[in-house]
Amino acid sequence: MTDRSLDLLIDEVVLGLASEADTARLEELAARDPEVAQRLARARDRFAPLDETADDLPLPEGFWNRLAPRLDVSEEASPPPEPETAGAEVIDLAPLRARLNRWRRAAVTGIAASLLLACLLGWSMLTPSDPLVVAVLLDDRGEAIALVESGPDNTTRVTLLERPDVPAGQVMQVWTKPDDDGPPVSLGLLSTGLSRVLSVEGLPEPHPTQLYEITFEPAGGSPTNLPTGPILGKGLAKEPVT
Amino acid sequence: MLGVARRMLGRVDLAEDAVQEALVLVWRRAHQFDESRGSAKGWLYTILRNRCLTMLRSEDREVPTEPQAIDRASEGALVDAAFDRLPTSADLRGCLEGLDEATRRAILSSYVLGHSHGEIAGRLATPLGTVKARIRRGLLKLRECLS
Repeated sequence: MTDRSLDLLIDEVVLGLASEADTARLEELAARDPEVAQRLARARDRFAPLDETADDLPLPEGFWNRLAPRLDVSEEASPPPEPETAGAEVIDLAPLRARLNRWRRAAVTGIAASLLLACLLGWSMLTPSDPLVVAVLLDDRGEAIALVESGPDNTTRVTLLERPDVPAGQVMQVWTKPDDDGPPVSLGLLSTGLSRVLSVEGLPEPHPTQLYEITFEPAGGSPTNLPTGPILGKGLAKEPVT
Repeated sequence: MLGVARRMLGRVDLAEDAVQEALVLVWRRAHQFDESRGSAKGWLYTILRNRCLTMLRSEDREVPTEPQAIDRASEGALVDAAFDRLPTSADLRGCLEGLDEATRRAILSSYVLGHSHGEIAGRLATPLGTVKARIRRGLLKLRECLS
């Protein structure tokens, strides 16, 4: 299979357009090949924001109570072979089963709670924590064009305040100067022309008066890894009063 | 989770069934979950969406499929709402905006409503081959834009 047809198969499986046979084939491939599994996971992540757009419906009353017996049934559908009871010594399994069911219920609640927690954690990791510094970037006419908020780990939320006029074939690149006297360092590209959260590793914690700026660079980012294009806006960071 | 299932199945009682069945599957397959292959949340939603798709595609489905039972206007509204609710900061939104409207709607109705190629073609009164090719081109463009 070519790379491109594999990518298409992955996308069709994620969208739900692939046949059952194709889906099974891809899942088998992913189980054997971690690279395919990674690509599948990335494709799922690309479309995952659409799951967040559904109405937030509360689970109806009694949902968990109705779920618990189904979990028991699902296990009992394929019961493990019970050993023949030999001799006169018969063990009554009923109380044991009842105890096991109680444990299962507790476990279900536990799983539900941990899944919820996982979702919340996932969400909080995507959302930068309280920013350590905030900068308002101004253009050369003094108009505010973007708000930059950066956390201790340099996870940086860039909120554009105006829809910028990006020249064809160019892209916005976000820069900062971790060292006031050092060179600017790229935080990433705003390749879709929209606001986004950028993350970068290996930089010191941002500090007040740190410079942030956005420049127009050739598609793919500055070839020299230093700003080359015109400045859309720049500003110095300040520490928010909390 | 219930919202995602209702959007695909169109009925809240079927949606509750789907969420319950998905959770039963999660319970049984918990040992298969591998953190290095995506988030728990993504895994959960994948299982749920697959469950809904199986319900939509199964022969003895209870989900209405007769043309008169399909409320085209509300389907369109669901697709539009899904797009409108994507945060403006989401790369997916920006990249979907770059597609022509027919392609964008076809891709969204497959993910959001669980429509098959055939169902999309039927609703647009467009030949199946054209719809398949259009979606294929759209997905390629999206992939390039998002990578």
